[in-house]
Amino acid sequence: MIQLHNVSMSYQSDISALNGINLRIPRGDFVFLTGVSGAGKSTLLKLLYAGLTPSRGQVLIDGQNVSRLTRAQIPYLRRTIGVVFQDFKLLPNRTVFENVAITLEVLGWSKKDIGKKVFHILKQMGLEHKINSTPLRLSGGEQQRVALARALVNDPKILLADEPTGNLDEENKEQILNIFKEANIRGTTVVVATHDRRLTEFCHKRRVVLEKGEITEDSYAQQ
Amino acid sequence: MPSNKPAKRPGLTNEGVIKRLAYFGFRAINNIRQNLFLSILTVGTITIAMLIIALFLLIFVNLEGATEDWSKRVQVVVYFEKELTAQEVAAFRMRIDSISGTDKVTYVSKDEAVKRFRARLKGQESLLEGVSADVLPASLEISLQKKSRDSEAVAAYVAGLKKIPGIGEVQYGDEWVRRFSTFMNFMRLMGALLGGFLLLAVIFIVSNTIKLTIYARKDEVEVLGLVGATRFFIKAPFLIEGILHGAAGSVLAIIILTLCYLGFLQNAGNFLSFNPADEGVSFLPFSYLAGLLLGGVVLGFLGSLTSLKRFIN
Repeated sequence: MIQLHNVSMSYQSDISALNGINLRIPRGDFVFLTGVSGAGKSTLLKLLYAGLTPSRGQVLIDGQNVSRLTRAQIPYLRRTIGVVFQDFKLLPNRTVFENVAITLEVLGWSKKDIGKKVFHILKQMGLEHKINSTPLRLSGGEQQRVALARALVNDPKILLADEPTGNLDEENKEQILNIFKEANIRGTTVVVATHDRRLTEFCHKRRVVLEKGEITEDSYAQQ
Repeated sequence: MPSNKPAKRPGLTNEGVIKRLAYFGFRAINNIRQNLFLSILTVGTITIAMLIIALFLLIFVNLEGATEDWSKRVQVVVYFEKELTAQEVAAFRMRIDSISGTDKVTYVSKDEAVKRFRARLKGQESLLEGVSADVLPASLEISLQKKSRDSEAVAAYVAGLKKIPGIGEVQYGDEWVRRFSTFMNFMRLMGALLGGFLLLAVIFIVSNTIKLTIYARKDEVEVLGLVGATRFFIKAPFLIEGILHGAAGSVLAIIILTLCYLGFLQNAGNFLSFNPADEGVSFLPFSYLAGLLLGGVVLGFLGSLTSLKRFIN
């Protein structure tokens, strides 16, 4: 369960990115955060994985106040959250296998188990034949699937995606959305920030609209 | 709703200090392989930096050696009007030996003094015709230990020496000793200043190079942070890389220095008026080489540590 209570976030004293946000995302939910660029979508996602600390209010994940976590505790929160970005954030000088394996190396898995698990998830993503390629040799859709494999390989409780289809064509967008849906079916809470309205129309899920740092519409509340 | 089971955590490889270190070592070597250009850049910078320090030390050590030789000339001489008996020499020797700072005491009889004088006037012996051994006084020549060779220490030593009954005229070339002490102090000050500035410049250049190489890999640091790596997990391979870069840079610097030294010994005779091999131009002692290696390792480690602070909160 993700809860935001009266959360505000200012980067400078006079510029407010988020203003008095109240939001509740139950476990296993699938939410689209939409809004124009600068509406505060990315800021909200950053607050969820402790990339930022709110200026005011509380961010709770499974009852744990994220802003009160110490620097040493933050990594343990992040191990339960998968994050993907528009620019994929893949390491160009590592192979696809090594890019995905990072998540499990951090958890301290053995080499053998990492090999099995990474191969399994890359097969699910249809990338098993690219296992030894470097990201720069892959298409945009393939790179995003590698990023998704890295985010999902340890079966996280929450998956956060910031404009995940921003650089992709229609066919790849659909493929990526299907991966989100499958993860959601397996029980992962999915939060996707996007300004692409067609994406939310294609996939009938909860939609939270942000405008100038405030929630102006929440399809969940309307139900 | 299907429940989301957290990932099963299979057997760990990096539990236990040794296995953990082995993992970080493997990661560091892999990182060096994957970022070869940046590694070469870092090792190259450390090599040049350590070579500059090593060259400075080599010059300093040889100058120190030369001044050590010159300082051996600091000698206190006690003159006696009459020839001393063997018992008297032994008694004086015993009392002088008990003064702190005494290195060696040599008795020069009147005959010996004349012999030395004749040797110095070789070719002009006619000047000494008719000169008997009685003309020159007998003396005790006292060499001093290294710590007692500066002007103040020599003056204090002489004051102690004069307290011994029977000791009259004492000479120690006080003007020469004073000048020599001033020169040595100047040398030490210049050495410390030059060495200090050099060290600061080297630290500045190396730490900035490491900072740039880590900056080039800031995405890696960011991704590791996003997937839940602890700060230690992120830092450890970088720090091991820093140590390996430092060690490699130092070893290369020592190898280049050795080759330059050997090349200098072989060829310097061609363009210098003396042969450095005969003049005792020495190489850095082992302790200095070990210090250079350790310095490189510390430089690589601290350079990485301080640079990482900028990227890991």
